[in-house]
Amino acid sequence: MTASPYHRSLVLTAWVAGAFCLLLCGVMIFEHFAAATNDPWKSPQLLTLKEELAAEPKNGDLPMEIRLLDQKFREKFRRRLALDKTGGWLLLGGMVVLVLAAGKAAALTKATPFPGPKTDAAEQATKLALRARAGLVVVAVLVAGALAIVTLDNTSVLPTNDAGWQKLTGKESVEAAPVEAPPALAEFQTNWPRFRGWDGSGVSTQTNTGTNLLWQSPIPLPGHGSPVVWGDHVFISGGTEAKREVYCYHATDGKLLWQRAVENVPGSPPKTQGVPEDTTYAAPTVATDGRRAYAFFANGDLAALNFDGSIAWTKYLGPLKNSYGFATSLAIWGTNLLFQLDQGESAGEGSKLISFQAATGRVVWERSRPVPASWATPVVGMASGKTQIITLANPWVIAYTVGDGQELWRAQLLEGEVVPSPVLAGDLVVLFNPSSKMFALRTDGAGDVTQTGVAWTHDENVPDITSPVSSGPLVFTVTSIGTVTCCQTSDGKKVWDKNLDTETQASPGIAGDRLFILGTGGTLVQLAAGREFREIGRCQIPDKFFASPAFVGGQIFLRGMTNLYCLGPAAVPKQP
Amino acid sequence: MTRRLKVLGLLAVLMLQALLVSAEQRFPPPEFENGYAIPTASTPAARQLWLQYVDAGVFLAALGIAVWMIYRKRSRRGLFWLSLFSLAYFGFYRKGCICPIGSPQNVVYGLFNPDYSVPVTVLLFCFAPIVVALFAGRAFCAGVCPQGALQDFLLIKPVKVPPWLEQSLSVVPFIFLGAGLIYAGTGTGFVICRYDPFVPFFRLSGGAFIVAIGAVFLLTGMFVGRAYCRFLCPYGGLLRLASLASKWRVRVTPDTCTQCRLCEQSCPFGAMREPTPANLDQNTLGVERRRLGWLIALLPVLVAAGGWGGSKFSAAAAQLHPTVALAERYVRQQKNPVEYGLMTPEALSLQRAEESPEAILAAAAALRHRFDLACALFGGWIGLVIGVKLIALSVRTRRTDFEPDQGACFACARCFTACPNERVRLGWMPAAEQPTTP
Repeated sequence: MTASPYHRSLVLTAWVAGAFCLLLCGVMIFEHFAAATNDPWKSPQLLTLKEELAAEPKNGDLPMEIRLLDQKFREKFRRRLALDKTGGWLLLGGMVVLVLAAGKAAALTKATPFPGPKTDAAEQATKLALRARAGLVVVAVLVAGALAIVTLDNTSVLPTNDAGWQKLTGKESVEAAPVEAPPALAEFQTNWPRFRGWDGSGVSTQTNTGTNLLWQSPIPLPGHGSPVVWGDHVFISGGTEAKREVYCYHATDGKLLWQRAVENVPGSPPKTQGVPEDTTYAAPTVATDGRRAYAFFANGDLAALNFDGSIAWTKYLGPLKNSYGFATSLAIWGTNLLFQLDQGESAGEGSKLISFQAATGRVVWERSRPVPASWATPVVGMASGKTQIITLANPWVIAYTVGDGQELWRAQLLEGEVVPSPVLAGDLVVLFNPSSKMFALRTDGAGDVTQTGVAWTHDENVPDITSPVSSGPLVFTVTSIGTVTCCQTSDGKKVWDKNLDTETQASPGIAGDRLFILGTGGTLVQLAAGREFREIGRCQIPDKFFASPAFVGGQIFLRGMTNLYCLGPAAVPKQP
Repeated sequence: MTRRLKVLGLLAVLMLQALLVSAEQRFPPPEFENGYAIPTASTPAARQLWLQYVDAGVFLAALGIAVWMIYRKRSRRGLFWLSLFSLAYFGFYRKGCICPIGSPQNVVYGLFNPDYSVPVTVLLFCFAPIVVALFAGRAFCAGVCPQGALQDFLLIKPVKVPPWLEQSLSVVPFIFLGAGLIYAGTGTGFVICRYDPFVPFFRLSGGAFIVAIGAVFLLTGMFVGRAYCRFLCPYGGLLRLASLASKWRVRVTPDTCTQCRLCEQSCPFGAMREPTPANLDQNTLGVERRRLGWLIALLPVLVAAGGWGGSKFSAAAAQLHPTVALAERYVRQQKNPVEYGLMTPEALSLQRAEESPEAILAAAAALRHRFDLACALFGGWIGLVIGVKLIALSVRTRRTDFEPDQGACFACARCFTACPNERVRLGWMPAAEQPTTP
């Protein structure tokens, strides 16, 4: 058969289109392999610069060099993407011409069908069914074989049963773990085991008769966490982006007994999560139960340290979503280490309240919380016949049981960034909506008590950073500019107020019948914790103070930015 | 000449593959240190609601036109132009998303994840072709599916797949459907979309593996009509089932079948079925009945065996889920720490996951439980599909004329004009030239 000119032109068109596609493709393959061998991620130049930066983080020129190189790579990458796109459309056009021309040419040479009659239809149908069934068995075997290969090729290191998962996630039943008897309540009460004392109230029953400097001891790394005390041991933490540490001082002479770096925490990224310099990595106060000290840092590392300074256990709870840096302190109650981990810009970003078994770090229970980040520390204590954990965060005040974390009640009272912590005053909990209103809430409610639980409110001189303190019949507050206000616990009525002219960020405390207010500039003011304003005395310590004081054994422990101080009745100042 | 054309076509497809491979590389994200959150990339970009309704309207209109072309106009030319439009609109313009093929995954994902509500347009894309198939067969495949259209246009020299092989491979789409649905139900991802071999061509972008698969399908599609639709498309499996119950059937001849076998020659998809013999001897019938009985009894055994086998697959299957994969990586790193230099990929992954290791492990534990059940169901489903197909192959269907298999027919209308009666009806051939019934 002689090909017609039309057919010949179609074939020629197909060949030209094919050659065009081939040429274009050759160029693009070359580009592809050239790009693949110049992976910017593995650029020796970029990696060298990054290593140099890691070694010299202060070198100001290196980041700019890295940025410029990165930009160069990105521009090159974008140019290649644009080329690919243009090439893709040209190739698509070439393909269309090729397929149309080739298809038409094939159609012109297609023979006219002339099927004959079929005489063995029955036999063929039987054979077809037989072969199809056999083929189906082969398909089934192939599928099973493929799944078996995939299974064997992807062995898992994860557990295959519930017990294994519980062991891996640290949620083994508490009964299965060795039970450690908790210290007696009296031991907690005579020590200062957490932020603002054993129950977070800031009140010590012991009388302090003096504010003479007994000793001072330097603190290696900065932090805003307050000191905690158990017997002869005073614990604080400090940290920077490079290092986080826990320190133990002797309560009698201020000698640094040990300092322990918290590092290599499983899961904690080598590159530390950044926090604002003002907050520091050690804003959360350490907690102790007389067996161990527990420290949490703003990078997400949680550590338990034995009293000899060895690490008992560590956990990584990050990364944390907190724009100002994490500052909520740990709370301890019996054998439970309680941790309010609020984070994110809005509810639903992972806020939760966790109870760890203090001895092992295993999670006893965990409750998610419908709140964003907050900086308040929960108060834990007996109120209305129940041991309650009372938490604050925008917009909810929520109370939980200690044993299993069940919610007892909640009230929608808070706004903005919640920093001050609550205190218990009898069966009331006193708290601030920062800079706006002071609330006293009854603690015997259930469910949403927003409308029914508020005993009284007070809206004068409401602090935004410091927490309240109560002597029982009276509640004292101090604002950031140093205005102290005294209200009646029963109805919230103001008894007196006075400006002390001292900027204050540390929460006030009560020891015996005295109210202690520590100014940021180092002024420690003693007031009578009574119905009349009476200043008993002042002393000046040359340091900056953001942490709240601890009152134990007739001594006051203060954490400054550079030193740890101990004040007491005996005027025997000495350097360790 | 034809051989040279084949070689040319092969080269072209390989070239196309190479093009798309070049788009595989992704530039690493910048290492921001100021808290900047890298936005989640999505392809294609989220579409405004009213435009989604426009898409749905176009889709319904195209389905309606397809039905009209098949049953009223009986026009292959009309379906050709409709396919071309669908390829351009749903393929290259809408970049293959949303398409009905992947939509059952959305529905299943919505069923098992209360946080996700399936958009109305997705429901429409999912169920409209099935409802149409219940009445009018696979009209969607005929003129609306861009994947089908692309393969149709590339079909240059169709070759016939042996019918036994066609029947054996017809279970694969159902198995793929099962896999797609378990991965969607467990929130792993939409594997049917991820492994759609044609979407990279619509988007001019894709990973090397899937582009290679797509190139193989395109190459095969030049000689084997709609290879993907027949042997892999999971949505095609659903439409095949719905079409079996369709009210209207595609009829080759507008008149009496002359059994000329021209329609059988014209179907590139092996969907034409010939008349069955009138009588079978009693021995053969007896053997076939006994076999059928055994196969029916075997069905529950296959389902149970499949369920057991599937449950063994769950640990491996779960590793495709990003959270489980992250947990695996984390635990491996804890067991055998590997130093990677500046920042370990594990640490980087965990940091970007914005979850603590404990939270990831807890989520992985819950997912593994979900996979245990899902994989057992998947295995049982495979057993059911194989068993039912074995039974179907042992049941004789009585046919007196050449007619398309209701499930397998794409309603492409190629066979219409191959029928002498249709050509007479159209006035393309004088009535005197048509063959007589044998």
